[in-house]
Amino acid sequence: MRLNLESHLNFDETMKFIVCVKQVPDTTEVKIDPETNTLIREGVPSILNPFDQFALEEAIKIRQEGDEIIVISMGPPQAKKALLKCLALGADKAILLSDRAFAGADTWATSYTLTQCIKKIGDFNIIFCGLQAIDGDTAQVGPEIAAQLGIPQVTHCESVEKLEDKKLTAKVQTDDGYKIVETRLPVLITGITPSFFEPTNPPMMSIMKANKKPFSTWGAEELGGSKDNYGLNGSLTEVIKVYSPPAREQGVVIKEETAETAVQKLIDLLSKDKVI
Amino acid sequence: MSIKFSEEDEMIRESVREFAQSKIAPIALKMEETKEIPRDIVKGMAELGLMTCTADEKYGGPGLSAVSAGVIAEELAKADCTGSTCVYYLVPASWGFLLNKYGTEEAKQEIFPKTVSGEWFLGIATTESDAGSDVGATKTTIKPDGDGFVVNGEKMYISGVREAVTHGGGHITIAHQTPERGTRGMTTFYLPLTAEGITPTYINDLGREGISCGGFSINNVRIPKHYILGEENKGFYILHEGYEYARALISVICASAGLKSLENGMNYIKERKSFGKPLAEYQEINFRLAEHYTKLNMLRDLGYKALKTIDLEQEGKVSRFETSNIVAQAKMFCSDWACKAINDVMQWQGAFGYSRECLDQAAWRAVRSFSLAEGTKEVMKMIVARELLGKKQY
Amino acid sequence: MISVDKEKCTGCGLCEKACPFGAILIVDKIAVIGDECTLCGACVDKCNVEAITIQRKKRKDVDLTLYQGVWIVAEIKDGKVRNVSFELLGKAIELADELKQKTCVLLLGDNVKKFSQYFSSRGANKIYLAEHEALKDYYTETYSSVITGIISKYKPNIVLYPATINGRDLAPRVAATLELGLTADCTGLSIRDGLLLQTRPAFGGNIMADIICPVTRPQMATVRPNVMEMAAIQGNNNAEIIDVPVKVDLQGLKVKTKEVIRGAAFECGIPVCEADTIVSGGRGVGSKENFKLIEGLANVLNAAVGASRAAVDLGWIPKSQQVGQSGNTVSPKIYIACGISGTIQHLVGMKSSDIIIAINKDPDAPIFNVANYGIVGDLCEVIPLLTEALKKKLSEN
Repeated sequence: MRLNLESHLNFDETMKFIVCVKQVPDTTEVKIDPETNTLIREGVPSILNPFDQFALEEAIKIRQEGDEIIVISMGPPQAKKALLKCLALGADKAILLSDRAFAGADTWATSYTLTQCIKKIGDFNIIFCGLQAIDGDTAQVGPEIAAQLGIPQVTHCESVEKLEDKKLTAKVQTDDGYKIVETRLPVLITGITPSFFEPTNPPMMSIMKANKKPFSTWGAEELGGSKDNYGLNGSLTEVIKVYSPPAREQGVVIKEETAETAVQKLIDLLSKDKVI
Repeated sequence: MSIKFSEEDEMIRESVREFAQSKIAPIALKMEETKEIPRDIVKGMAELGLMTCTADEKYGGPGLSAVSAGVIAEELAKADCTGSTCVYYLVPASWGFLLNKYGTEEAKQEIFPKTVSGEWFLGIATTESDAGSDVGATKTTIKPDGDGFVVNGEKMYISGVREAVTHGGGHITIAHQTPERGTRGMTTFYLPLTAEGITPTYINDLGREGISCGGFSINNVRIPKHYILGEENKGFYILHEGYEYARALISVICASAGLKSLENGMNYIKERKSFGKPLAEYQEINFRLAEHYTKLNMLRDLGYKALKTIDLEQEGKVSRFETSNIVAQAKMFCSDWACKAINDVMQWQGAFGYSRECLDQAAWRAVRSFSLAEGTKEVMKMIVARELLGKKQY
Repeated sequence: MISVDKEKCTGCGLCEKACPFGAILIVDKIAVIGDECTLCGACVDKCNVEAITIQRKKRKDVDLTLYQGVWIVAEIKDGKVRNVSFELLGKAIELADELKQKTCVLLLGDNVKKFSQYFSSRGANKIYLAEHEALKDYYTETYSSVITGIISKYKPNIVLYPATINGRDLAPRVAATLELGLTADCTGLSIRDGLLLQTRPAFGGNIMADIICPVTRPQMATVRPNVMEMAAIQGNNNAEIIDVPVKVDLQGLKVKTKEVIRGAAFECGIPVCEADTIVSGGRGVGSKENFKLIEGLANVLNAAVGASRAAVDLGWIPKSQQVGQSGNTVSPKIYIACGISGTIQHLVGMKSSDIIIAINKDPDAPIFNVANYGIVGDLCEVIPLLTEALKKKLSEN
């Protein structure tokens, strides 16, 4: 289960970074069908998870000449688009893990699958992940990969500050500020997006170059590993019901002539409703 | 089956849409007042790789296909109701395509880096006061002179003259080298507008006010040999490939601008009530909506078909004549259909539709130009008629 | 495993409409279930002729009855027990009572024995105490190994972690090490058919999911702060304290903390994700100076100060206070949004608040769609008046 760390130490000068990404529905565009109370999935665009794009951009930021960035993703064939975007943004190589056997995976099965791929790639120095996917919102896959690989993890990373002498310095968010940590390699980092990050779309030249970069699709056969751990079959949690959260009732909007009367009215309402 | 876009084209669309909606859409109407495209927008377009996007990679361009160029045009048209950035984009794209295909290595090395970076403008200047559709009636002449050529004449109703004169660049143009041979003795070449002997004039045209309209006189302007496109005296034939690239892009732009206007109109007629019910419930209005929507979607498909045909022609899979034919079909009604749709959208909005604050009136004025720009609709009918009746056009 | 009985299926399409994942198609008048199926069961519920059945897998050779006890992982910060620990305890006692099992607390740290009484007095039955100098500060490596070890040895049925920054760093590490199912950021927990039923939001809070861990033990979940009721003080103090000897060596640590910088929030004292009441400012506040208005109101209400992304981007307040998709997700009793328009990205972070009060100049601001109470007005006028009025009102009570 645990990996022999020595096989992952890379004594070459150049580094190998692996970035784990996911294609997700744009949850800011998701709507609920008022009649059936279910998610309307048609017409919701699929995007590269913004947290993952940030993680990729951090990898690109600290990359030096000769370093390689490989992006990997577990998803249906359409997820190729998210990986092509990563190639356009600056990744060198992409691998899509796509197989019916992987479908329906929870965070355990997902992290297991990604771990198998990472082991197969081998010789990595840093794994970059987004903190969480905007559909699942669990933030579990990154640390679960790190645990399975037996490597240290740094979560809630705001930025990678520097990489020197096989040590990485990162700025990490805390409840009331931040801390600077230093970690040995190899390490897995999950990044939160700093507020100034705007996921941008790549220019034409980069898009044209993307298609020429190496792209492979691997299935369960190529990955090997224990088939019992993939997909729905390998999931350790089960979703037994999905439903809409109760709708918030329409509230009271106070529009008064003066601020004084508006505030008075609010206080009265809050008292009446026993809020204060 | 409507055209299916590649993943690459979908990424192109997203990148252009993000830029166009966030940077161009908010200031679109303003360009009608300032009569220019802000330089930082031009820079942004260039950084995105839109300017002379058809230039090969070795000259710094992304070397896009015609279909990809169409995707860009479509997104710009959605965002820019005035059409100024659409024209600022489509002209260099189309004539960059011609320069890329028939220009000398020396010319391409000199011109493309400047146009790709957004510094120079690359335009087309064949129209004259007395010669529009009848290109053969041009009075401009080009004569060999030493190791170069000397050009004399004038051009009129040309887009981008002010931009080229101010920031650099030039226009692809055509002139008689061997007048007695008529169209068989014309040469196509690049004419830098900053050259000595060029005197520009400017006119006020009806729309697309962010890009200038004007003309220039050409007085003994010397150009080097490497500015010739293709072979001397054989310029008339290659010129049409440039026109056709532009025509195909224009078809997609008209469809996109028209559909965008319809979208504006739809939002309005759903909300606005008259005599107790929303305008959308009146058959006179919703039937027109349905008709325009159908026609503009047909136009869009035909426009992309034309672009795809151009790409296939470059691969040798389709003949020159077939391309001319399909492109002419696409452009034939593009302006009429889009103008009719936009005109109705303006009408639905009543008095507001007649005010300068309405986006659709700017779109109408822009789209109106496409019944004549890069080839009139009458010429399109000539082309198709000739193809059908067997008489070869060239 | 999900199957459609072709004899029973009438092709009515109710299941197709009910499926939240678009996994069902009616083909030739029979329901066909595709790869997107997650076994959520929405279709089974909807089918009028019982044509769809789900069989849940059983993992072999694990005797689940060996696992007993509902545990919580306590979090200590700045020499105090964090409120969320008592919220977890409250819920754990409820679950344990229903299962007729014991409630236990995992207490790690340096010199933390003194905190046992707080858990004991609130109803904990056992406290597993792992004290060591090296456990003074949280490190993934040290805490996860200790907890993994204790869990393996003492075999709890359920373990709850707070969904704080540390908790969300720790829980998945432990889960993957032990190959366990883990559910994140739960807002609801209960027992159904002897199993822990975990309820959590997904899709940015647009849907709720009920989840179980049928085959792995312990069943683990991280729990969102400020949602559960804190355990009440009962007065007894007879929790059994089990000292767990631990060996922790900081020398071998691969991740070391070099520097800790605490922002303005430290001065406020209440981390935004734990606060009962939050007063938040957005772009409409107008300037860093004006944020003092927000702070003033927060002080009167003993609230934490929050912010939308716009305010953080403009440098008016540190990022640790940000509420929203790329900031904190909060569930306070009262959330007051001042000069915040209410973009989806912000709503994702606060729409599960009990009461939302909005103050904004723009009557069409989307925040008014989720607010229970709203004032359309200039916050520079409204907030000082509101602060005064509340101060007066609260001192009356």
